[in-house]
Amino acid sequence: MASVLDLRRRIRSVKNTRQITKAMKMVSAARLRRAQERALAARPYARMITSVLESLTRRIDIYDEETGNLRHPLFAVRPEKRVLLVIISGDKGFAGAFNANILKTAFQFINGNGDKEIDVEAVGRKGRDLTRRRYPVAAYTEETDENGIARQVRNDRKGAVEVTGDHVGMLLKLETRRVFELAQSIISRYVHEEIDAAYIVYNEFKSVISQRLVVERLLPIMKIGVPQITGAVEPTEEQRERAAEAAASAGITLEAIDTAEADEEAKKFGTANVDYIYEQPAEELFNGLLPQYIFAMLYHAMTESVAAEHAARMTAMDSATNNASDMIDAYTLEMNRVRQAAITKEIIEIVSGAAAV
Amino acid sequence: MDESNQLRVRLVTPERVLFDQAADAVELPAKNGYMEVLYGHAPLLAELGAGDVRLHGAKDGQAAAEQIYNVSWGFVEVLPDRVTILANDALKPDEIDVPRAQQQLDRGEKEWNEAGDSEEKYTEALHVISEAEAKLATAQEKP
Repeated sequence: MASVLDLRRRIRSVKNTRQITKAMKMVSAARLRRAQERALAARPYARMITSVLESLTRRIDIYDEETGNLRHPLFAVRPEKRVLLVIISGDKGFAGAFNANILKTAFQFINGNGDKEIDVEAVGRKGRDLTRRRYPVAAYTEETDENGIARQVRNDRKGAVEVTGDHVGMLLKLETRRVFELAQSIISRYVHEEIDAAYIVYNEFKSVISQRLVVERLLPIMKIGVPQITGAVEPTEEQRERAAEAAASAGITLEAIDTAEADEEAKKFGTANVDYIYEQPAEELFNGLLPQYIFAMLYHAMTESVAAEHAARMTAMDSATNNASDMIDAYTLEMNRVRQAAITKEIIEIVSGAAAV
Repeated sequence: MDESNQLRVRLVTPERVLFDQAADAVELPAKNGYMEVLYGHAPLLAELGAGDVRLHGAKDGQAAAEQIYNVSWGFVEVLPDRVTILANDALKPDEIDVPRAQQQLDRGEKEWNEAGDSEEKYTEALHVISEAEAKLATAQEKP
């Protein structure tokens, strides 16, 4: 049996750990609040882009009347043979099952599409580490064509699934420019028919108690303004309760902030019931708007994923703090028992010694 | 509709709503050149280039001063009493990082020179150059 001194040491060590987890929880709570604000601030733009595109597709046929061609290559629907999967995970651990769940969903998607060639684009360090361990990285060789222009040509595939790129640290400091570059690279791959579809796996986050893992189709755009969610994993009731508890103890509001009014206002953008003068022909407008739409979807997924990551970390750290408290209680009880046993033993010794005399 | 003949101008970027206020007139850098919008303009939807958005007679609680924002790429919706600017990026003149804009300009010019026969690369380089030039021009403006 451990001595009183040993137990006291162990209690001290657990107390220190508890302090760390508590601090991490509070830090995550503060970051979560900021992430939520950012996600909220990004809403009007995304809504406006969506509504203007919606109204544009309603007024203008996506096929040219004269030539019958599509007005923008992003509307083209091809049979899905090569698929791009964007995995949005976290950059750091200590967030409970957050990263594991995302990657599980991603691998399920990959396994469920075994007949297709899949390119993986990993956002976040955790996702990159695991996908790189599992799948080969796409290799490119530089070639010079007859005009003397060097260009990157992709080598033969090493497997059905390859990692084409990773974006570590993109989520730590979310810059619109970098996200836009990613959006543009996805679009250019689609336009050049390197991929036939693009999907994104991320953790949707409406509020602490309302979040889920979704697989959403980014490309091709079938219908503007309708999220093309092809798969979703809802958290269990138990997980939801734990998250709610953690949020309450960190002072985070549970309900999603009401944005109905602002959303209504944003929805009006470009949709007024009048005949607009379009400065540019429809092709050019689509050309400018569609990349923005893809960007807005990506940015939206990333802001939500960041918020979800902080929420997951907050919940995990709250659990850790509670566990540490339970452990301290158990150890304190044991320590008292051991001490009492020692005292009793001494008394018995004295009494029996006195009786012997 | 109120009698004041003022426009409600909104500037929205992907990150946040920058402002939402009333003004007498607003100058916009449309893709084919600058245009000025006054109260009662015909409904219009246009693409924006890189340049300054200028707000005239903005009522911001303080004196009706001219307000300048550098925007690069985006869209604008004009309605008779409302103007909504969707910009990819918007900066105040004093927020512009001049050395960085200069670097951007140099990079754009380098790309331009190296573009060769690729039309795509020319467009891209032109994009970079015009954005940098617009930023530098705005930075020199006295706000």
